[in-house]
Amino acid sequence: MIDAGFLLGTMRQLLAAVPTTLALFALSVSIGAVIAGLLAWARVGGHPLLDRFARGYIFVFRGSPLLIQMFLIYYGLSQFPAVRHSPAWLVLREPFNCAVISLALCTGGYAAEIFRGGLQAVPHTAIEAARASGMSGLLLFRRIIAPLAARAALPAYSTELVLMVKSTALASLVTVWEVTGVAQRIITHTYRTMEVFLCAAAIYLVLNVALVRLLMLLEWRLSPDLRAPRPLPAA
Amino acid sequence: MTREMPVALAARDIWKSYGTLEVLKGVSLEAHEGDVISVLGASGSGKSTLLRCINMLEVPDRGEVTVDGEPIRLRLHRGRREPADRRQVDRIRAKLGMVFQGFNLWSHLTVLGNVIEGPVHVQRRPRGECIAEAEALLEKVGIAAKRHHYPAHLSGGQQQRAAIARALAMNPKAILFDEPTSALDPELVGEVLRVMRALAEEGRTMLVVTHEIGFARHVSNRLLFMHRGEVAAAGTPEELFGGVAPEQFRQFIAGYHQR
Amino acid sequence: MTLLRLFGFGPQGWGGLLLAAALMTVAVTLAALLLGAALGALVAAARLSRRRLWRLLGEAYTTVFRGVPELLVVYVVYFGGSTLVSQIGAWLGGEGFLGLPSFLAGAIAVGVISGAYQAEVYRGAYLSILRGEIEAAKAIGMGGVLRFRRIVVPQVLRFALPGIGNVWQLSLKDSALVSVTGLAELMRMSQVAAGSTHEYFQFYIAGGALYLLMTTLSNRVFGAAESRVARSFRGGIGWQPR
Repeated sequence: MIDAGFLLGTMRQLLAAVPTTLALFALSVSIGAVIAGLLAWARVGGHPLLDRFARGYIFVFRGSPLLIQMFLIYYGLSQFPAVRHSPAWLVLREPFNCAVISLALCTGGYAAEIFRGGLQAVPHTAIEAARASGMSGLLLFRRIIAPLAARAALPAYSTELVLMVKSTALASLVTVWEVTGVAQRIITHTYRTMEVFLCAAAIYLVLNVALVRLLMLLEWRLSPDLRAPRPLPAA
Repeated sequence: MTREMPVALAARDIWKSYGTLEVLKGVSLEAHEGDVISVLGASGSGKSTLLRCINMLEVPDRGEVTVDGEPIRLRLHRGRREPADRRQVDRIRAKLGMVFQGFNLWSHLTVLGNVIEGPVHVQRRPRGECIAEAEALLEKVGIAAKRHHYPAHLSGGQQQRAAIARALAMNPKAILFDEPTSALDPELVGEVLRVMRALAEEGRTMLVVTHEIGFARHVSNRLLFMHRGEVAAAGTPEELFGGVAPEQFRQFIAGYHQR
Repeated sequence: MTLLRLFGFGPQGWGGLLLAAALMTVAVTLAALLLGAALGALVAAARLSRRRLWRLLGEAYTTVFRGVPELLVVYVVYFGGSTLVSQIGAWLGGEGFLGLPSFLAGAIAVGVISGAYQAEVYRGAYLSILRGEIEAAKAIGMGGVLRFRRIVVPQVLRFALPGIGNVWQLSLKDSALVSVTGLAELMRMSQVAAGSTHEYFQFYIAGGALYLLMTTLSNRVFGAAESRVARSFRGGIGWQPR
């Protein structure tokens, strides 16, 4: 009953679309991280107006579905002649770019809260000790705050990254030819719905399991002090 | 005095190991009605394990436990010993009260709710009757004013007294105390010991694992001293504190006095 | 067309349809959450089991449904389900294509996904129950079923509340993906209205705003529930899963 030939052919076609999925992922996560960093800074910085803006941004992008955000950018913006005639149109007319922008804005909101949580998890005592040694500003951030915040935020951020891999599938609904999009195209030609979708699901599963493993390795490497100490040689 | 009273509970030749670690090596004890037996010993001597074997929170590898004349039936199942009849164990547990080191009050119920839970749902007694009795018990241990509070809002000493009331509400044949004051701040220990002393004077049968030497010496009528899984000394407080005691016991007591 | 006429409740206004669609969103999410609660409880029990087989099956379930895009799950349930229904129909003598009703497909798809997240919540909640409280129940002579009913279930529900609130929000947004089945929920209705009037921006903003409204109301409701439950905690509920 299992048509190996068909499955193999399907897999080949789907795998060819994986680079697109990865590109969507990598670009949106990077841009999103920058946005998140700025938002987290706005929230903990102390400036009430910036804090309010950041809170509003996070509320909007976490409170509404990604799909509607994506449609808003892809269909909604192109509706206005002003947008179509602006230089931004060079970027916005490509579905891929719209998808990346939408994904980045969305993850920016979620990651902002995760980064903020990480920052707040840095023990006050560690910062005090650093200040007492004369550290401040950028040096303090770079050597003490950032590493400890990153360690604290990593588990939650790992979950977010997995969600981002899954979210790239929505790009298929704005005509981007990533894995899910290609799967749909194969189905319209062959009508073999279940087999194709299950192949696509398998690909995402593999991608996510690999991602989680990588992140667990990263977590392990970042916490040398939390690992069990190696037994000392007998004196 | 107590020799003529019937045996409330007995443990005969109890052995218990965890893996290769032998925690109990052939321990026996017998409690007559009205006995207040204190079990002393260093950490790791097996005293808590012994207590927990009596109500089968731990199952002994060898040996027999009898409560109110009824031996708890055990069987071998897949290489492990376990109670043969769950219902018998539940029934017997309902006859024994247990007070834990960590109080273990149910955090989603009020103090009153904790005390009536057993009588209402296990003993199936009418709710009104249980509430009336519970309020009297809470009055007796001195926390009636807190009956509608949740455990989290009580001090450690109050929580433990509530736990004692909870155990008393079941009308137990004997009460097991597993280091009841070890988790309390020093100034709260007294209020709990006072309640326990009152219970002893009422004639309750009590088996108390404790570090409180004063209680052991002045309130209990028998002592058991455990060392590395065996009973190293047993007798009345007069005997053991009077000078007939083995060396280990004297060293143990001396260690305490030095603190 | 002015905004007022666009969103109003007159003959050319989409207001009524959008609100009805929002109700449909809530309905399908509720159905999904209930299905997810049942599945989540089973999977949590499996993952806490002493038998290795159950634990592995439970882990497989959570790995699959947290690792596969929700969109694909919706597709598979809808198309796969429809195929199944058509097959059964064929056996019973029917003809042609019988589809799985989109509400059912949506509820099942979102439900199965939320089940994976709810399993994590219930498992964490169960592990948070102090072992001592269960021992005290044993020591008083409570049998297994009674313990489960009187001690375990109330405690799990208390600890799980914040987590379930999160899962509800998650499922509310996942329900937008059910639009691909044609179900007249909020996403689909926004899409239809936008396409029909070519006022894409306005209607996607409107749809988004309605989702935000639902999110805010949900926050209020769960917040109130958590406050009521937290009165028995000393410091309030601290632990919150993602």
